[in-house]
Amino acid sequence: MGVLTALLRVRGLTKTVGEGRAARRVLDGVELDVQAGELVAVVGSSGSGKSTLLHLAGGLDRADAGTIELAGERLDGRSERVLARLRARHVGFVFQAFHLVPELSGEENVRLAARFGAHGAQAPARVAALVDALGLRPVARSVPAQLSGGEQQRFAIARALVNDPALVLADEPTGNLDAESGAVVLALLREATRDGRAVLVVTHDAAVTASADRVVTLRDGRLCGER
Amino acid sequence: MLASGLVTLAAGLAVGVSTTVGYALATGYDRAAQSSDQPDVLARFAPVRRSALDARLRRLPNVVRISYRGEVNRVGLAANGRSARNGAVHIVHGTRRGYAIVDGRDLSSRPGEVLVERGVATAWSLRVGDQLQIGELGGLRIAGIALSVDNVAFPLAAVPRVYVSAAEVGRRFGREHDPVVNVALLWLADPGRLDVTLSAARPAIFGLRTEQLLTRRGVRQAIDQAAGVVIALLVVFGVVAAACAGAMLAAAADARVRRRAAVLGIERALGASRTQVVADQALDAALVAAPAAALGLTAGALLAIGPAATLLGFLNEVAPGAALLGPMAAAYTGLLAVVAAGAASPAWQVTRRPIAALLRGGDLSPPTRRIRGGARPALLGARFATARRGRWLGSVVVLGVAIATVLLVLAVADLLVALRDDPGTLGRRYALTVPGVRSDLAAVRAVPGVAAADQRTTIEAADSFSLTEPLRVIAYRGDHVPFEAPPLQSGRRLRSAGEVEVGDGLADALGVRAGGQLALQPVNGRELRFRVVGVVRALENNGRVVYARSARFERDDPDLGGPIAVRLDAGADPGDVVRALAAAGFAGRASAGTTTSNRSFLGILATVLRTVALAIGLVCLAAITQALALTARDRRRALALLRAGGASRHTLGTLLGGAAAAVLLPALALALALERLVLGPIVARLTADYATLPLHPSGVGLAVVGGGLALAGTIVALAAARTATREPVATGLGRADG
Repeated sequence: MGVLTALLRVRGLTKTVGEGRAARRVLDGVELDVQAGELVAVVGSSGSGKSTLLHLAGGLDRADAGTIELAGERLDGRSERVLARLRARHVGFVFQAFHLVPELSGEENVRLAARFGAHGAQAPARVAALVDALGLRPVARSVPAQLSGGEQQRFAIARALVNDPALVLADEPTGNLDAESGAVVLALLREATRDGRAVLVVTHDAAVTASADRVVTLRDGRLCGER
Repeated sequence: MLASGLVTLAAGLAVGVSTTVGYALATGYDRAAQSSDQPDVLARFAPVRRSALDARLRRLPNVVRISYRGEVNRVGLAANGRSARNGAVHIVHGTRRGYAIVDGRDLSSRPGEVLVERGVATAWSLRVGDQLQIGELGGLRIAGIALSVDNVAFPLAAVPRVYVSAAEVGRRFGREHDPVVNVALLWLADPGRLDVTLSAARPAIFGLRTEQLLTRRGVRQAIDQAAGVVIALLVVFGVVAAACAGAMLAAAADARVRRRAAVLGIERALGASRTQVVADQALDAALVAAPAAALGLTAGALLAIGPAATLLGFLNEVAPGAALLGPMAAAYTGLLAVVAAGAASPAWQVTRRPIAALLRGGDLSPPTRRIRGGARPALLGARFATARRGRWLGSVVVLGVAIATVLLVLAVADLLVALRDDPGTLGRRYALTVPGVRSDLAAVRAVPGVAAADQRTTIEAADSFSLTEPLRVIAYRGDHVPFEAPPLQSGRRLRSAGEVEVGDGLADALGVRAGGQLALQPVNGRELRFRVVGVVRALENNGRVVYARSARFERDDPDLGGPIAVRLDAGADPGDVVRALAAAGFAGRASAGTTTSNRSFLGILATVLRTVALAIGLVCLAAITQALALTARDRRRALALLRAGGASRHTLGTLLGGAAAAVLLPALALALALERLVLGPIVARLTADYATLPLHPSGVGLAVVGGGLALAGTIVALAAARTATREPVATGLGRADG
């Protein structure tokens, strides 16, 4: 695997949060490669910088120093416009709190994300196929307030996958779910890697780490352990 | 914080303009009356020896002081290349003058001094020290500029007025021990007992020919005749602008408190009472608003004070100066009170909820119904904007009322400009005038494009029973209606040479009504009596006009002349007709809408109205900005989520544009309905005395307002999208919606 070109390549990543005396360096020269088809779990104590690493990898925030290369394109130093295009094309996000737009139905949340991708006229079919594939058809027209946590997270995964991203970034995707729903979500993420997608998961969930191809540990701003 | 500051600034600006215009105009007369020591009664008599008059007036009850003047009319005045033949020279007797000195000094015992009225000084660009030629008095040096509030200013009042001392007249024409006077100024011990004095005055002055008895209230009514309706409208518009600004400020303060629900929960958890929390929020909001409110108020006052002062100048009234500080301080306090109340009220409501609920923050329940239209960004934005129903409705109502007011203000301003420029507005149907004599009529009527032509004669006259009540007779040989048809207020059109229609200004001044008699004393001629058959609404000469047939006047003066009024064929181009007239040997000129003396006055009224419209427009802009800023802030996470999915700034702009449209479109619909069904008809009834045009916004006005709103909505949406994309997506995702 090491001879392959990494889908995500992170080098010397540094990020400080807070100001003045409250300033804290949460990432301090992080180096990480994630290959296509790989599910990598990032673990670490609370506040260790796991979510920050995920945000930087997806171009949701800007690093103080270091480089990030996604699918051969550098994210660091790029304009917001370019980052938006790269996110639409290459990245899908799954959040612990689902973050579905509350006014839209589950399917429409997926369709909203599809507007930014490259499927064009095929987008509705792609959305419908994903909703069916994830077993969400019976609740497709329900708004988030009418959905269970597991259903919301499955819609969130459908939303993350709808534009066929090369990389899925998941921040504690099972953190708000019961064990059964968590297992379903984990299976979906695992399934996503079969198409050559990479999945980078921040988690405290032992089930997720057990299922991961690799587990990296973030401590004191550095990746210090790998399984 | 910036958006909140801008809202406060805009609200302060609107309130500043409103307070300045409203206070300045509402109190201008009283201020001028006080500063000029206006007498409680001004009486005009036929010339009489001062001692004889004084002997009678001294006996009146409640009178503490009397001054006399000799008023000489139709005197030639000339200075600075300007001149008038109808000047009024007031020969001042006594020490209590009844006018204020606004520049220079009062008349003294030095020879060769004159005071000029402020309106004359302004219109003729006269300064203290300049020379003024006054009829037989010759050249006098201007010692000061005087202000008297017993009439509107020249040139709105047709007569330029100057004051000279009795000593100066004595030096020139010989001193008289008991001079002749014709004006008495009376100051009362108790103005509230004016009726007692007037009752006693009638028998006291029996036998004297009294031409005018003018009280303070009468003067005020006369001045209101000139601009009262528009001033009342300006004050009302100012109040509307202030109310909208207040509602907007309250909404901003409300949103600010609701966003801080979690902080309030922490304070409550730490032991603060509800009262303490509410007081803290109110004080905090007031302190945050204080600098922007002060800045906005100051800017508004500076913006409005110039046009307001010019308008007051036309009315011979006084700008408030330092007296404005009191109302401005009150307005400032009021603004901060509104902000404090706007914060206290939601704080009181929010802190009623369980502390644990407060600590979770937010108060927006997730919707349980799907929106129609699906996942289109513009529709999603509209849904975001309407999610908080109360706030959305508040924004729509504030904007709707403000837009309706802007439409109405612009309509009134358009109307004033039309009154100034468009003859048709005044019911004047002739478009051209041609210098000529009666024998030219046939040749003028034969010119292509000319529908009708008749000689229009104007005759200066006075009411026989009130000789200093000047009026203007407008006489046609035939029916005047084809040429000018000022709207009938009551009665009917005249049908014969023995009948007249009178203007409403004259009807009010003389108390004549349809069915009454009018005795006219032309300047050159004998008295003529007419039956009044109608009262018409007219602006010319402040409505002090009489429409008549010229036949009876021609009997006294067969050479009576005047320009030929030319009415054009429908669709005829005035320029073409002027050229055709020139080819026939006539010099045709376009007919103006009002008299020259009224033109600049109407122009400045329109300017003041547009200043108020601008201030209200800024309120609209601030309201849109606020509505969008609050939506963007409430939906910060949703916007960040869209960005995480690859949404561009353009997409966010579309979404926020949808949010703006969700507020603007219903507000515009509400505004049009309000303007057309409520405000327009009310104001049209008020202004019906002056105008024949329906008081609705013109197409251009609607386009300007609609286009302005669309442009403002677009710019504000793009700016909000730009602001939203400035922060890292991760930061936005960390914030709770609602």
